[in-house]
Amino acid sequence: MEIQSNDEHAFKQVYEQVFPILMRVVYHVTNNQDLAEEICQEAFIRFFDKGMVFPSLNDAKYWLIRVSKNLAINQVKRKSREMVMVDKLKKYPTSHSNTKGGEQVLIEKETRKQVQDAIEQLPEKFRLVIVMKEYTDMDYKQIAQVLHISESNVKVRVYRARKMLESLLTQE
Amino acid sequence: MCVDDELLNTYLDGELDEPWRTQVEEHLGYCNACRQRLDQLRQLQQRIASAVLSDEDISQRQARVLAYFEKSRFPMKDKKMHIFHKKVKVRLVPAIMTTAAAFVVVFIGAFVLFGTNSSQAQDILPGIATPMDSANVRQVSETQSVTLDSFSLEQIVQHLDAMGYAVKLEVKAVTPLE
Repeated sequence: MEIQSNDEHAFKQVYEQVFPILMRVVYHVTNNQDLAEEICQEAFIRFFDKGMVFPSLNDAKYWLIRVSKNLAINQVKRKSREMVMVDKLKKYPTSHSNTKGGEQVLIEKETRKQVQDAIEQLPEKFRLVIVMKEYTDMDYKQIAQVLHISESNVKVRVYRARKMLESLLTQE
Repeated sequence: MCVDDELLNTYLDGELDEPWRTQVEEHLGYCNACRQRLDQLRQLQQRIASAVLSDEDISQRQARVLAYFEKSRFPMKDKKMHIFHKKVKVRLVPAIMTTAAAFVVVFIGAFVLFGTNSSQAQDILPGIATPMDSANVRQVSETQSVTLDSFSLEQIVQHLDAMGYAVKLEVKAVTPLE
């Protein structure tokens, strides 16, 4: 089904399905929910304002992931430049609606923090691939399409990223 | 020979094609070391996956961003309705009143100019029908107030004479001309 990006109905259809994926990709790349929200909004603004036609919903999804991924990477680069200038950049607090027990929330929060910190230390090309693999429903082929790399390259990067993460997480 | 990590990772992701998939499964059937390694990789994957941003966290933000688009990019339907309502409220009401007033003027004017007989008028406007009858309409022209100054002495005398009055004129005093 063809997608006209500035058609309200088509936009909402894409938005409903793709926003959670974008939000996860961008959040796990930037480690900042507020920033991730801003980036997702910006990506969808571009999507709408450009009034493009996509052959399928998946093509629209890949375009949006590509744009938001680039925005996220730029933000991360800017952030690291700022971190050199300022000793430590204050991290935004993550919001939790506490329907679970406090202890459980704390454990989850701690786990998330450890994993996020480890992901943050990965080189960009490994980080992007592992984030897409672990936090979206995309397979190697789809990740390859988004990143314009080969499937075998995706496979190798996933393997290397996991190896690095294993090393980082077992150090703690 | 044992299965290497790269192959195990691919197997774990369900991305290993045949015939390697079957071969790896056969190997895992008898190799404890590879099974253990696969378990380790599975646990690592689960740990990484457990850090996923929750649906709750996303849904709030998703609603907020959508609200932004509703306001900034999809206001056409709502705004059009809004403007339409405004027009109806602000402009249509005076227009209706003006039209009604015009109608009344034209309606009454038609009676005055073209006339109707009183029975027709009685049917249409019982309250004002009789005074509106053409027999009761008088054309009023501007008149000047008439005084004795408007007439000469000769005209006054002639008029009184014609009316049968005996008129005697007497000069009381005459101022000589210089």
